[in-house]
Amino acid sequence: MRETYSVILPKMNLAELTGRLIVIEGTDGVGRSTQIKLLRPWLEQQGHAVLDTGIKRSQLAARGIQQAKEGHTLGRITLSLFYATDFADRLENEIVPALRAGFVVLTDRYIYSLMARAIVRGLDPAWLHNVHSFALKPDAIFYLRIGVDDLIPRVVFSSGFDYWESGMDLYPSEDMYESFRKYQTALLAQFDKMAQEYDFTVIDASPDIRTVFERLRVGISRALKGEPREPLFAGPVPEVGAQDSGNTEVASAGKANRPGAEN
Amino acid sequence: MVEGIDGSGKSTQLMLLHQWLQSEGYGVVFSEWNSSPLVRDTTRRGKKKQMLTPATFSLIHATDFADRMEHNILPLLKAGAVVLCDRYIYTAFARDVVRGMDRKWVRELYGFAVKPTAAFYFRVPLDVAMKRILEGRSGVKYYEAGMDLGLNEDPEESFHLFQGKILEEYENMIPEFDLTTVDATLPIEEQQVQMRQIVKAKLTQAKRLRVAP
Repeated sequence: MRETYSVILPKMNLAELTGRLIVIEGTDGVGRSTQIKLLRPWLEQQGHAVLDTGIKRSQLAARGIQQAKEGHTLGRITLSLFYATDFADRLENEIVPALRAGFVVLTDRYIYSLMARAIVRGLDPAWLHNVHSFALKPDAIFYLRIGVDDLIPRVVFSSGFDYWESGMDLYPSEDMYESFRKYQTALLAQFDKMAQEYDFTVIDASPDIRTVFERLRVGISRALKGEPREPLFAGPVPEVGAQDSGNTEVASAGKANRPGAEN
Repeated sequence: MVEGIDGSGKSTQLMLLHQWLQSEGYGVVFSEWNSSPLVRDTTRRGKKKQMLTPATFSLIHATDFADRMEHNILPLLKAGAVVLCDRYIYTAFARDVVRGMDRKWVRELYGFAVKPTAAFYFRVPLDVAMKRILEGRSGVKYYEAGMDLGLNEDPEESFHLFQGKILEEYENMIPEFDLTTVDATLPIEEQQVQMRQIVKAKLTQAKRLRVAP
């Protein structure tokens, strides 16, 4: 049965939540939303109803957060709690109803990003864990992992450096590039720490979109069938091997269950 | 900091304390529950559209409190001011738990709050408080009456039931947080004398800023 990280919210019946919760995590600019755009039709082709959702999209708090960020005046505890409010709103009003209806919920970031950003800003990990402990444990967490050197060109040639994504609130005296580098390096280190703590499935996000997409498909297929995850942080050689064999295995199994579902 | 259910007279007492501290030459500042300009819009929207659940109700109030703590209360305390809070974290502890949130979770949520120098709880029987409140106004608001809990369809009846539960939570917190209890049925003057005595004893460290009243 579905679990939370400890606290169960009022009126939440975990036994009813029969859908699947898949989290795509990763730092800014790593390609999460691109992958989700590809994953959604792929899942739908297989007959899954999909809800895709992400941080900062709730009805309640999204506008307030945006306004507050524009003013750059939020304290770090306040910002964290604002995001937690937003997350709770999304959890109760989007994710839970979808899981109750048997959907596959694909979420662009989850509590891990919220916690990582706050920890990098100096907040207490134990406090943050408690604050977010009402969150549902996902069926799988895919962490798109990238080194800061691979990340920089992607960011420069897409959206450019953003004030918050560069941690300018943390390093106000630096230029955006230096600040981005420092901030993202700290963030990535934090994600790596969490990968072990929260049992992420780590996917190397440095190859091209297609390759990352394939790896995600393999992992998601497994998660949806309730199969065990790939070993965490497997060395590069065995990882590739395991993934290749997993790929064919999943593809054939998928065809057997749903003829014509795979492209 | 003062706590108590609506109609306990805590705000009146705090106002009187404010006057006195000012006349004594302390730098005094008020900080009210739910007053951060930054978060206010969101809270108001959520309440107006009745889109708050116990979880979001709890978290949005914690956000508001954090903003006040980080931008208002802490800097003022560092500067040596006396900060007077009309309601503090105990209001959240009472309301959120009555709404079904986990007791321990709520307490840890507010782990960043500064421990108050003096914490007064104005104890009043439910009926007295109800009478004071309902006489003074035309009706109670949705969340104030705890209508979101579905206790009763009649707002006044729901308010009564809700405040009764809040009162129970407060009673449990007196020993837990060592709250100083004031009998709120006593004459106003008498309550104020008690308050001033206790505050005076605790204010040895605060700076007298000699601000002209």
